[in-house]
Amino acid sequence: MTDNQVMLDVREGKVEKLAILFERHHVALYNFFLRLTGNRAAAEDLVQDVFTRILKYRATYMGEDKFVVWMYKIARNAHIDSLRKHKDALSLEGQLVKTASSEPAPEDRVARDSDAALISKALGRLHPKKKEILMLSRFQDLKYREIADLMDCPIGTVKGLIHRAIQELGDIYADLTKETCRHEM
Amino acid sequence: MRCEETKEHFADFLTGELSAKAKSAVEEHIAGCAACGEDLRRLTEIWTKLNVLAVEQPSPALRDRFYTMLEAYKDGVEAEKARRTPKKAFRIFREHAWLRRPAFQFAAALSLIGIGLAGGFLVKSAGGRTARLQNEINSLRQITAASLLQQASPSERIQGINVSAQLKDPGNNTLGALLDTLNNDPSVNVRLAAVDALFLFSSHPEVRDGILRSFATQSSPIVQTALIDLLVDIRERRAVDAFKTLMGNDRLLPEVKKRAEAGIQKLSF
Repeated sequence: MTDNQVMLDVREGKVEKLAILFERHHVALYNFFLRLTGNRAAAEDLVQDVFTRILKYRATYMGEDKFVVWMYKIARNAHIDSLRKHKDALSLEGQLVKTASSEPAPEDRVARDSDAALISKALGRLHPKKKEILMLSRFQDLKYREIADLMDCPIGTVKGLIHRAIQELGDIYADLTKETCRHEM
Repeated sequence: MRCEETKEHFADFLTGELSAKAKSAVEEHIAGCAACGEDLRRLTEIWTKLNVLAVEQPSPALRDRFYTMLEAYKDGVEAEKARRTPKKAFRIFREHAWLRRPAFQFAAALSLIGIGLAGGFLVKSAGGRTARLQNEINSLRQITAASLLQQASPSERIQGINVSAQLKDPGNNTLGALLDTLNNDPSVNVRLAAVDALFLFSSHPEVRDGILRSFATQSSPIVQTALIDLLVDIRERRAVDAFKTLMGNDRLLPEVKKRAEAGIQKLSF
């Protein structure tokens, strides 16, 4: 049974079937949020929030798009709302820039071995929007059209952002490798 | 294709969204352009490096919270339905004059008192609601596990086993489904996951019997070894005969034979 068929059943009132979608997607969603927030507890709260919202808005699911696209739309909104809730005083853009530049990279806290630590650190220094788009393309296996749909922007923008994100990630990674080598000498 | 145009296709090249025609045009260009070739090499390297990021697992509390939320939501939907029902009943009452006759009303009042007393007794019973909620969550998990175990993808079937493993009271259907998976699943990894889950339910006599029967039918050395370990861990003495029978098989791998011998020794005292 496909995700879409299961979700249509949920929409029709068989809400217990949401458990199937939870079992299929909660780990991927958790990793998506973990890489965005760098915080395990926050990532779990957000996963819970996404599934609560799916129930709440189940009547709006039309079954035209892939279920995961609809789910990640909800996931992005849940993340944005959580940022707003926790930092009312700052504008969203301000927080994003602050996270990207001055705060310690959240991924620093979850990174473990050296190469993974370096790539995590590099991801943490990437602009949040680029990081998010890279996560969706690389780890959630979403196509450009699907990412464009869920981010509500043209496909060309998605393509350009992914390209620049990989390029920047490569530059940051190279810098970090050099830094690490200098420390070790 | 010029450099700028080629670079526009790099992201498509990495994500696999490039047509065969465009792909060969990019490859043709980079074969003659060292700078673009170097750019693409760097991008491919970092794209591949992202593989080193491990998939993290959330805590088991997340699953518990989800099922509690889902059950509460179901309860809410049912309560809403129940809340609407009296309105309909009232309309019926209004539309049918005979319902307003004193004799009927007296009988109805007596019935309501009876229902109220019975309801009150039920509500008072300590922890009744919590226990019901737990039961409902358990049965929801059983349904989910059964559904996942039927899926075509091995990873989903493993998820089904993981959900089963979290059940406090798995019930005969779930235990049967796990044993069936152990006996018939085409994937060794899924069968191994079933072994791990069945270990948790080894206090059930039917599970012990089922594992013993399954042991005789397994042909994969990895599964055989896992089952030997499990039967030794749960101190199932009847396994000694099964191990001896297995060791009589000429085509048995020496490693498995050694493990069975060790198992017989451990179960003998």
